[in-house]
Amino acid sequence: MKYSLEHEKYLNNIRKKKIWIIISQWGVLIVLLLSWELMALTGVIDAFIFSSPSRIISTLFTLWTDSNLLLHVGVTLYETVAGFLIATAVGTLVAIGLWWCENLRRIFEPYLVILNSLPKVALGPIIIIWAGAGTKAIITMAVLICIIITTINMLNGFVEVDKDKILLMKTLGANKLQVLTKLILPANVGTLLATLKINVGLSWVGSIMGEYLVSKAGLGYLIVYGGQIFKLDLVMASTVVLCLLAGLMYYLVALLEKKLNKK
Amino acid sequence: MKKVLTLNDVCLTYHTLQGETDALSHLNLEVEEGEFVGIVGPSGCGKTTILSLIAGILSPSSGSILLEGGDTNSLKCGYMLQKDHLLDWRTIYKNILLGLEIQGRISNDSLDYVADLLNKYGLKEFRNSYPHQLSGGMRQRVALIRTLALKPSILLLDEPFSALDYVTRLSVCDDVHRIIKQEKKTAILVTHDISEAISLCDRVVVLSHRPATVKYIHHILIEGEPLVRRKSPDFAITFDKIWKELDIKL
Repeated sequence: MKYSLEHEKYLNNIRKKKIWIIISQWGVLIVLLLSWELMALTGVIDAFIFSSPSRIISTLFTLWTDSNLLLHVGVTLYETVAGFLIATAVGTLVAIGLWWCENLRRIFEPYLVILNSLPKVALGPIIIIWAGAGTKAIITMAVLICIIITTINMLNGFVEVDKDKILLMKTLGANKLQVLTKLILPANVGTLLATLKINVGLSWVGSIMGEYLVSKAGLGYLIVYGGQIFKLDLVMASTVVLCLLAGLMYYLVALLEKKLNKK
Repeated sequence: MKKVLTLNDVCLTYHTLQGETDALSHLNLEVEEGEFVGIVGPSGCGKTTILSLIAGILSPSSGSILLEGGDTNSLKCGYMLQKDHLLDWRTIYKNILLGLEIQGRISNDSLDYVADLLNKYGLKEFRNSYPHQLSGGMRQRVALIRTLALKPSILLLDEPFSALDYVTRLSVCDDVHRIIKQEKKTAILVTHDISEAISLCDRVVVLSHRPATVKYIHHILIEGEPLVRRKSPDFAITFDKIWKELDIKL
């Protein structure tokens, strides 16, 4: 396809802008890291308290060789993904149940509102006693943090489906199950994806909060431990790994979204 | 001519928290096979309510409605709404099959009939497209074919053109008229657009203010396609008569 000179110029401009944005995105990171390192080297900030990029990297190396970084990553990842999946599945099922029965929805509405505003971390001690001090308690925490917002989001999506579309389904002779499977659920794939994105962030909050309260391994455990023995290098290194993992998980959901939208 | 639909002394009262409203009072109407009947009335007089009653979505407070000699049943009616309501995630073909799929009526016969409709009305090349790839007029045609695929004994059209812009509306109006006449379907059109009613229908029923009852029935003697009818001198005369009967005050 041959374009006019003017169109080529227009495309070029857009391309240039895109490249400039990407360069700037990396630039911000590089400038930040360099100035951090420089300030630590020159003694503007105390590297013992603020750590520094080079110290973080060497800590990561020792973590890898001496204290089994993979184990800690694995434990936290397992707790987070388990919480994420359980909360999304159960939360969506509850939303379907509440959509199905309007009376049930009206009865449970105030409970949902209160549970949603309650800081789930406050339930920590109860969870530990009920679920036992361990992985189970941490997963429960992650599930609790995600599940209410999942239910509320999905239910909102279900209820907002055009009433006329439901009327149309009924005039075509659809029963309630058919309205659900042929209209409500496919119409809310977008809502589900948006909820997944929220849950990526929230499930990490849940698992790390859980590890703060009770854990023997995991990134949250490393962060708390590092804080207690005043090893800020350990805290920072664990946080960096956490950032990478959370970013990766978000990226996977975004990939899923792209794939579904293509269809 | 065979009678397809009879409304016998139908009354309907609405109940809301604010109180009760008489929507229809002693409404009588007969529709014959192959007829195209238009219903016009002041806004809020209960035009759509009549369609819901015929489709069996609502039941009358008193009086009776007979559809092909039997009870009303939404499966005998093909409902067409203001918007096409095509499902974005289904292809055009899958959208057209929606009704058959829901009613478990997918068979070689019904698929042949759908293929025939697609062929006749120029939708074959779009069968694997998605709704957002089609123009508003084409989408409305798909909605009509989706309804026809179920072979309804009567078509109920609830202001099916009002979501379209004016120019598209005129051509879609022609399109729908042609298809319905070609398929020899009985149809009831509810609209607030007087000229639309005159250009499409064989009879136009004028309703009174609420509680609605039949005020007057016009037999439209102008023949032909909607756009041709609009040119006839009788068109303006009929328009004027209906306008006065509607008795609209601001």
